[in-house]
Amino acid sequence: MLGLQPAELEALWLSVQVSTWATLLAALPAVALGWLLARREFPGRLLVEAVVYLPLVVTPVVVGYVLLLLVGRQGLLAPLLDSLGLELAFDFKGAVLAAAVIALPLIVRSARTAIELVDPRLEEAAAVLGAGPWRRLATVTLPLAAPGLVAGLVLGFARSLGEFGATITLAGSIAGETRTLPLAIHNATQIPGGEGAALRLTLLSIALSLAALAASELFLRRLRRKAADTA
Amino acid sequence: MSPTVRIACDARRGAFELELEADLGAPATGVFGRSGAGKSTLLHALAGLLPASRLRLEVDGELLVDSAAGRLPRAHERRVGLVFQDHRLFPHLSVAANLRYGAARGGSGPRLEEVVELLELSPLLTRRPADCSGGERQRVALGRALLGAPRLLLLDEPLASLDRGLKRQILPFLRRVREASGIPLLIVSHDLGDLLALTDEVLLLEGGRAAGCGSVAQLAAEAETLELLHDCGLVFALGGAVAERDADGLTWVRLDGPRPQRLACGDCDAPAGTRVEVQLRPEDIVLTRERLPVRTSLSNELLGRIERITHSPARVLVAIDAGLDVPVLAEVTERAVRRLGLEPGAEVVALCKAQAVRTRRLEP
Repeated sequence: MLGLQPAELEALWLSVQVSTWATLLAALPAVALGWLLARREFPGRLLVEAVVYLPLVVTPVVVGYVLLLLVGRQGLLAPLLDSLGLELAFDFKGAVLAAAVIALPLIVRSARTAIELVDPRLEEAAAVLGAGPWRRLATVTLPLAAPGLVAGLVLGFARSLGEFGATITLAGSIAGETRTLPLAIHNATQIPGGEGAALRLTLLSIALSLAALAASELFLRRLRRKAADTA
Repeated sequence: MSPTVRIACDARRGAFELELEADLGAPATGVFGRSGAGKSTLLHALAGLLPASRLRLEVDGELLVDSAAGRLPRAHERRVGLVFQDHRLFPHLSVAANLRYGAARGGSGPRLEEVVELLELSPLLTRRPADCSGGERQRVALGRALLGAPRLLLLDEPLASLDRGLKRQILPFLRRVREASGIPLLIVSHDLGDLLALTDEVLLLEGGRAAGCGSVAQLAAEAETLELLHDCGLVFALGGAVAERDADGLTWVRLDGPRPQRLACGDCDAPAGTRVEVQLRPEDIVLTRERLPVRTSLSNELLGRIERITHSPARVLVAIDAGLDVPVLAEVTERAVRRLGLEPGAEVVALCKAQAVRTRRLEP
């Protein structure tokens, strides 16, 4: 296929796997945080917001290093991870964690906006009809926010595909384990005669990211149409 | 009749304080008052959407809420229905799914088919709310609230968002709900005319307090509540049925009462036999002691006897027993009282133009 080498196909497949797991891992906390920021006033809200959005503005290398300090072999949480039999540093799971933390703020932002767009008066109407908080969330808030939530997840997925700094810092660049597309491109540029591989992988990355963004845009359009219908 | 709904409610919304106690005995009670009087605050506090510092709510002998005894169920556990002014249908669900939403609570509520029939919803069931007209949405919202099997149903300005034509369409359905559901209704409106067509009693609010509760004639008999009613647009309503439409295009309504009289209405096109409510403003009524000796353009004259005269600093209101179920109210000046020698027991003729009469159809 496109003259791709087995190692390059491996990087592509690994990228898709890491990004899928990272998106799934980030989804629940991101939607919960999005809801919290959209619907609740609480002390320490600014702090939560700052911590959640920090990976957006700080360089991913810093995020990766902080993660290493936390979950590395000598990290703060190492005893806990040991007791669970989990090893994250320089491992596939570490690559997933790094990508998830980087993708999280993007998903939170989309989820927050989508939930803010849901008219809270509809939730009131559901409450008066006997729906408790969980039923309101499951039957009114989340379904109405769904296109925005999905758009956020697609965006998070696309961002995970491009993750480099945090991944290489926490998980290294181990072929077949943590060497995703961006790492493979970087690797190809470091070896003599790797230009062809670097170009093929670059084109592949661009195509994959464009597809993800297009999907995201499609869902956003649906959300806007829905909002227009409601108004 | 003993009161069916007892309310004691203290609540705050911003700087506004509601402090209210009321015992309501009618199947349907109107909540009336100028804007900012606390009508909407009361409804939200009763439904559990606004925290109340003190709330006690008893419906037909059942204590639904009693904050003093720590019984303060949240909105979804309260069984107090609320139909919002903006209907708030779920846009992502079909009409049928909207209707079923409240029915999940189960219990003694009406069946879906009953409500669909009552409100004539069957053509709408598969539609989305966005594809329904304003009046249809209001009907769906009503049906959805009924299916939630509430013990008390609150309606917040059910007619305010509708234009005159739609109002005329939805009113009979609201009347049907009143007759068929057996659930006590509390209806908020800023339009006394709307309320009179739907309710038997009016709870008058002013500054977050209950200024009075009773029929319009009762409230108008007190100087203080008379002033409030007047400020909000006082009208009184007479029940009746269309008798005929004459050659001049005037519709004659036979008014209900022990001594029925006929009234010409300028704005009614209902066929003979239709139940209507006729509404008049006391300032449109002219009083004389004898029938006019000359021809005038006035179409209506009602003969009666003065029941009561209420003097407030700003006006005089005369209540006349014209042999109808409710008294005819006329606003006059102190000068007129003196010159005509108006006093309780005196015979008078109440005159008004056909164009001053507003009618509301009570049947589709």
